[in-house]
Amino acid sequence: MSKRIAIIASQGGMETAFKVMNIALAGAATDAEVQVFFTFDGLDIIHVNAAEKLTLPAEKQHYVEGLQKANVPPITDMIQMAQESGVRFIACQMTMDVLGLTKEDLMDGIDVAGAMTFLDFAYDADVSLTF
Amino acid sequence: MNIDFLQEANKTVDCQGLSCPMPIVKTKRAITEIHPGQVLEVLATDPGSVADVQSWTRRTGHEYLGTVEDGPTFKHYIRRAALEQTEPDKKHPLTASHETLLAAMEQDVQLLDVREPLEYAAGHIPSAVSVPLGQIKNWITEHQHLAQQKIFVVCHSGNRSDTACKILHEHGFHRVFNVVEGMRKWTGPIQVPNGTHSGPASHSKES
Repeated sequence: MSKRIAIIASQGGMETAFKVMNIALAGAATDAEVQVFFTFDGLDIIHVNAAEKLTLPAEKQHYVEGLQKANVPPITDMIQMAQESGVRFIACQMTMDVLGLTKEDLMDGIDVAGAMTFLDFAYDADVSLTF
Repeated sequence: MNIDFLQEANKTVDCQGLSCPMPIVKTKRAITEIHPGQVLEVLATDPGSVADVQSWTRRTGHEYLGTVEDGPTFKHYIRRAALEQTEPDKKHPLTASHETLLAAMEQDVQLLDVREPLEYAAGHIPSAVSVPLGQIKNWITEHQHLAQQKIFVVCHSGNRSDTACKILHEHGFHRVFNVVEGMRKWTGPIQVPNGTHSGPASHSKES
């Protein structure tokens, strides 16, 4: 059985998105099964307008130069790479209802499901993380 | 360090200037483009890649040959493993469906339930013996006389039982079958705290 990594992304913003995708991509590179459950503000990360929604607040602007200098790929590229690497993205149905979002508001290839779907995966996970 | 592999590299992947996790992501892709036994050269400037490449090879079964520093560039060398070596987590090959288990249960059969004691207590197959996964090695030590017998192993979803089957197999128990569908889909007889029922555990409160 391959290793399983279960991640909850509950916050928005560029910083959170980088943290989540970094671990997800590294996990996928070791042939681990990776699932990310996006809930509350975390849904911004897989929104069709993620590029506009994932910003850095004023007090975090010092990251901008560093990210460029370190040649970190744009967050939207990392999200796409994660999907191409087989990372499974799940959007929280409840948050979508609360925000009035539909599947069309999200990127392609996202499953919409409830907490139980994530737990079913997480019960047998080797690593569980929350961001 | 033996640097003969410098000449041997069959492919080079350039990760210079890239930060974590990109060197690993690109290495993972590049390794699939060479044949088992061939050598991949990874060029990186990320100092973190020195530790990360080694961790990655440990996890994936490929062989880490070494790193050569060339100015600001680290040259990592990795030999791609044979296919079977890259699948250390292969599933236990012998499995049994619920139907097979039910048929086998008509005779006296060894059935191990490797879930935790609380899960077992909440509802289990009547003839199942509770051996939590963490206890399986103790059980093996005490039951060497059963090594030649047919043994079925069950858990909640088929994952822990898969691990248990592999441990049993490593210790000379070669007729072990993973009940892959697990207890979560079991509809056969079940023993619950208040008696025996023929339905699944979740419908077992009517008595």
